[in-house]
Amino acid sequence: MNRAAILWRVASFAVAASFVGLWQLIANLKLVSPVFLPGPDRAWAALVRGFSSGDLWSKLAGTLEHMAYGWLLASIAGIAIGAIIGSSRTMRTYVAPSLEFLRPLPVSAIIPVAIAMLGLTQAMALFVISFGAIWPIMLATIHGFAAVEPRLYEVARSLQMSRLAVIFKIALPSASPDILAGMRLSLTVALILSVVCEILAGLDGLGHWVLLSARAFRSADLFAGVILLGVTGYVTSVAMSLAEHKLLAWQAAQR
Amino acid sequence: MASAAKRLDTVPGTPAPQIAFDGATLVLGGKTIIENLSLGVQPGEFLCIVGASGCGKTTALRLAAGLYQPTSGRVNFDGQPMRAPRREIAIVFQDYGKALLPWRTAAGNVSLALEAAGMPSAERPARIEELLRTVGLPGHAGKYPSEMSGGMQQRLQIARCLAQEPKTLLMDEPFGALDAMTRQGLQDEVLSLMAASGATVIFVTHDLDEAIYLGDRVIGLLPHPGRIGIELAVNLPRPRDQLSTREHPEFLRLRRQLFDFIKATEQ
Ligand SMILES: Nc1ncnc2c1ncn2[C@@H]1O[C@H](COP(=O)(O)OP(=O)(O)OP(=O)(O)O)[C@@H](O)[C@H]1O
Ligand SMILES: [Mg+2]
Repeated sequence: MNRAAILWRVASFAVAASFVGLWQLIANLKLVSPVFLPGPDRAWAALVRGFSSGDLWSKLAGTLEHMAYGWLLASIAGIAIGAIIGSSRTMRTYVAPSLEFLRPLPVSAIIPVAIAMLGLTQAMALFVISFGAIWPIMLATIHGFAAVEPRLYEVARSLQMSRLAVIFKIALPSASPDILAGMRLSLTVALILSVVCEILAGLDGLGHWVLLSARAFRSADLFAGVILLGVTGYVTSVAMSLAEHKLLAWQAAQR
Repeated sequence: MASAAKRLDTVPGTPAPQIAFDGATLVLGGKTIIENLSLGVQPGEFLCIVGASGCGKTTALRLAAGLYQPTSGRVNFDGQPMRAPRREIAIVFQDYGKALLPWRTAAGNVSLALEAAGMPSAERPARIEELLRTVGLPGHAGKYPSEMSGGMQQRLQIARCLAQEPKTLLMDEPFGALDAMTRQGLQDEVLSLMAASGATVIFVTHDLDEAIYLGDRVIGLLPHPGRIGIELAVNLPRPRDQLSTREHPEFLRLRRQLFDFIKATEQ
């Protein structure tokens, strides 16, 4: 790491530290009632308490599970559907307009539909999460498949490669930067929708924990849950970036 | 000049052509790009095609590759109609940057052709190494195309084409984007590689000197629509030499003839 990078890192830590300091100050001065706003000290204590009792572990595990299943399902379906649409020009012209219509539809709008059809169940959560998370992945895949260098398809033809080989050796790797970027966006969507589903359907997870804490005016527990959600979002997105970096090492050479 | 096309059809006593255009016409977007092209390329022959920009050289090559189907007439390979591209016919594209897989290393790019041919993975590394050595890229197996110079990338594309073990190699201005020194080096490498493999070559170029230097025969195309305007046999001794061949009186005579032809087509 060079000096500038170290300086940036130090600066960002300083900002984070002063933010926590400010929070503590506001809490100590009781600018906001402690019933609603615990200081970082109390939030931290609640976090430690939650983990040592094991409660937060199981909630965290629940949320991670919802998120992971929904995201994986969205990834598989999104890449498969995106590949089919993206690799055919006719499909693109016919299907793209409907996608443009469906995409801006807020996922919250389909939650009542999902609840009506599937009830307050894990299946409903899986459907809602993957329905929301599929869009960035599918659209990125369509774009990636449509943008494959036509010359490469001619190379494949002259090598008489099979359809499957063309998909796995040419189209997918070529579209992989787009697909991985879409998957990273979807990770955040999946986390948000996991929390929403847990709140609405009372499924075991951090969303439910936050809701119950709020109802019982346990503000420290509430903040512990919120902090944990933030950390979850951050850690998964960093992990995804690392995976991207590793998978797309060939792109680093290109720049 | 119109009679040139007819003369090519059947020359008694010569073996059957490997690639035969038989009155091939191609219409694209309502425009006749190639008209009534008849041309036989003998096995092992090195045929060069020259012509003004836009006269249909690339299109003729794509017909020979099976990437286009003629609107009327035929294009035959080994006596059979070409219905689709096939592994025995390799194409070296001019835009090497687009014809290589950027996510695969040099070795991986060569491997693509071996995988397509169904070579077991255990046998591939040795063959890849051999091919990379053949085109002068030993020790670059682990490099990505983006880490290689233009000349190296074009060498890599040639290595992949050789991995197809083609009977025919089609080259579309393969050295057009390279500097003069790299270009001459690659010309000599292609000549010795083809002499060793005995493959048939159709080589498209803008460069008249290059066409005469490399070819057994040079064909000049006339534009709008593309058709044969001139056909020259190159009776220069092989192996060719960058200095003495280019100073040979016959070389200069052919060069003059081609130059006049191109000049006339541009008017
Ligand atoms: N797909 C196509 N549809 C319509 N016209 C085309 C198509 N491809 C090529 N042409 C036209 O056919 C003519 C010949 O094109 P071609 O690329 O074969 O020329 P060329 O001799 O290779 O030219 P250059 O030396 O510039 O590479 C050009 O006028 C071009 O505009
Ligand atoms: Mg061309």
